[in-house]
Amino acid sequence: MTTSPTKLLKNNYKLADRAIEMRSVDKVYQFLKITGRHIGADFDSLRALKNISFNIYKGEILGIIGRNGAGKTTLLNIIAGVLSPTRGEIKVTGKVLGLFNLGIGFQDQLTGRENIFLNGALMGAAKKELEDKLGCIIEFSELGNFIDMPLGTYSQGMRLRLGFSIIVNLDFDILAIDEVLAVGDALFQSKCFERLMDLRRSGKTLVVTNQGMDLVERLCDNVVLLDHGRMLFYGNTTEGVNKYHALLKTEKFFVGLKQETGLVENTKKWAEDTSNWGNELGTKEAAIKKVELINKSGLRPYGIRSGKPLRIKVYFEAKNPIKEPHFGIAIFRQDGVYCYGPNTKFDGHDIPEISPGKGYFELFLSKLLLAPGEYRVSVAIWDKNETLPFSYREGYYKLIVKGNNKTGQLLNLPCIFHSKAYFNLRRKNNGIVDPSMLDDKWGLKIDADGIRVDSVKILDHDDKEQETFITGGQAKLIVSFDKPFNDAKRYVWLGIYRDDGVYCQGISQRAGRSKDFKAAFLELPLLPGGYKISIGVWDGSMRRFLMYHHGIYPFRMVFNRKDHGTVYLQHKWRWTEK
Amino acid sequence: MLKEIFRRRDLIRELVLKDLKIRYSRPLLGFAWAFLSPLLTVAIFYVVFSVILQVKTKEAPFLLYLMSAVFTWRFFQDSVASSTTSLVDNKNLVLESQLPHYLIPLSIILANAVNFLPSLFILIITSLFFLKGLPVFIVFLPVILAVHLILTTGISLISSIVYVRFRDMKYVVEALLPILFYLTPAFYSIYLVKDSLPPSLFNLYIYNPFVGVLFLYRLAVLRGFYPAIGEEIGLPGLIICPLIFSAIIFLLGIRFYKRNEKNINDHISY
Repeated sequence: MTTSPTKLLKNNYKLADRAIEMRSVDKVYQFLKITGRHIGADFDSLRALKNISFNIYKGEILGIIGRNGAGKTTLLNIIAGVLSPTRGEIKVTGKVLGLFNLGIGFQDQLTGRENIFLNGALMGAAKKELEDKLGCIIEFSELGNFIDMPLGTYSQGMRLRLGFSIIVNLDFDILAIDEVLAVGDALFQSKCFERLMDLRRSGKTLVVTNQGMDLVERLCDNVVLLDHGRMLFYGNTTEGVNKYHALLKTEKFFVGLKQETGLVENTKKWAEDTSNWGNELGTKEAAIKKVELINKSGLRPYGIRSGKPLRIKVYFEAKNPIKEPHFGIAIFRQDGVYCYGPNTKFDGHDIPEISPGKGYFELFLSKLLLAPGEYRVSVAIWDKNETLPFSYREGYYKLIVKGNNKTGQLLNLPCIFHSKAYFNLRRKNNGIVDPSMLDDKWGLKIDADGIRVDSVKILDHDDKEQETFITGGQAKLIVSFDKPFNDAKRYVWLGIYRDDGVYCQGISQRAGRSKDFKAAFLELPLLPGGYKISIGVWDGSMRRFLMYHHGIYPFRMVFNRKDHGTVYLQHKWRWTEK
Repeated sequence: MLKEIFRRRDLIRELVLKDLKIRYSRPLLGFAWAFLSPLLTVAIFYVVFSVILQVKTKEAPFLLYLMSAVFTWRFFQDSVASSTTSLVDNKNLVLESQLPHYLIPLSIILANAVNFLPSLFILIITSLFFLKGLPVFIVFLPVILAVHLILTTGISLISSIVYVRFRDMKYVVEALLPILFYLTPAFYSIYLVKDSLPPSLFNLYIYNPFVGVLFLYRLAVLRGFYPAIGEEIGLPGLIICPLIFSAIIFLLGIRFYKRNEKNINDHISY
């Protein structure tokens, strides 16, 4: 390399020339769609980039960050000139080199030296230039005599070294690097990093994508944050990286937009992909050894009774000291419905460090408000930002809630009818209402002769009609019919459903002499999200609905803190200190 | 485009060298296969058509008649067949380096052309030996080679770009190439064709670029070939038709490339 220790351009790069100018760049991909009987040239399109504009100045290092599928590689390809924008324009001053892979066009049959010429020519170098730099390239690659062996005899590390040393020794003004440097061992990475710093010093313009946020933070002057093809942020690196971390933790697409209130309106997840269950993930710096499910008496029975306390005790062993971990435990129903997943971070516990050796953490649930059935428990020790777990056992442990659940409901929330407390599932002679026959009737209203619903009201603690309730607050449901039923075989049924149709809780009561049907939850523990209420009149002797309004009456839950799942369970944490 | 080819000449050379090195660096006999392989092909055809079927051609000795057709056809067929899938086969090269797409089929054709030279050499030597001399047209051999190259490039360029979007192209090419081969007078005399076709169709046949290019080669290499067919085809028609056809196909190829250049990368990776 013929680079003298030139001055750092960083401080005045705003005054420097623009290396790359992007003006409202759009990129649309078209896919061939095979329709029906004939195979036609029909195209589906995907907008990979939407209205991207920014400048890259000479001597600047720009990071492009974003989650998977955000459009990073597409953007980089456009900068490198491999793809052209569908709309908008890009102006590039200087010679761009796109590095999407180390060792492009490497041929196993050719020797290292021959591959240098081939790869170099592919990257746009003239033979003369390569001949001049051959010495530097071979020296930097540390391959020695191997350079005249066929490439097929090389190890993966040697290939990477050769590929990288060709690239960094070539002549260019702008280098666009995709996530290639994430490969290779630590030594190789540090060498690459060192070289990138050299390039920065010599005033080259670099564009890099997520190489791990540490590297981005150290290397980049500015970042572009992409999400779903949109540019959410362009500017200062620290701010951009923080926004990226915030993005990782939320399902909301636009972190840049203001949030209306401090209240959380959606739980992060409602369902889990069950295909990973039984897997053990993580870096294994701390390993989860054993999990115990303990009841009120300190025993470990086969099943836990619904509504009773549960203690989940997790034993782990740490190999290294682990900085700022947090513990998480999540409970899923057998089919993947997310019940509850508290973690120490949401609960505001700061755990500075776990020291090496054995330890445990415990979660006490004061009331297990889950309906009888089979559940799975995931246990994890996470790092600070929940990016990579130290140890994560997904859906690994089976939790049995004892009892008989004929109605398929998820929860067993305490509720009050006419000031008398019931755990409705355990009541005898209640004419168990089976709403599974309504499974395909979502959103339908079927009325019967002689039964007319006057009103359905959801009230808060002040008896005011509301659409939004806070988790843990009081809620009353009042259904008014036009006249009392006076039929002992009729039951009024109220079902609470999640927006996605998961049956959370049913309440049923023999229709009495009153025309109003009332139920109250003193503490409605549903987690944020949209819910729907269904009502129906059940004929106990014929086991069918006389009328129903299924999934008609909506309400929302919000919460003043973050939590995962469907139902908030009162809990506390304990863990071994140091 | 020509300027760009000149600018990237180092790259083209490396790509061609790569192709040849991969072909001949590992086999024990190495580059000797460039001579052996066409000879073996011709040997098979010769046994089948001359020894068994007793085919005779009055234009030239059958062996030379056959060699001139098989060697030149092999170059064309190998080039077109491997060029068609080349853009997709080398999608990593295309996507990861900013090389212009057409360089990939072009380098394959050039490598095949280099590979073709030994067989052309064999043809000339054999012709010199059997016919005791070469026609005066041999001086135009480089021009003929260039015409053949241009024709092949034009067709390969089009088929390789079509293949990126419509993967059916591979099968179409695979089906068309043998048909075209059997349509050219490789192991039958054109007089045979003349007898079985009406005059208008025969003219169409004789002036089509594939037959035309083959005739140009034979004109340049086989002594006594032109006198034998001279009464059927005039010299100007024989020379000008393939030239014009090749030029048209080549220009069409370039136009087609220019129109599709920007979309190729969008469709190449799946």
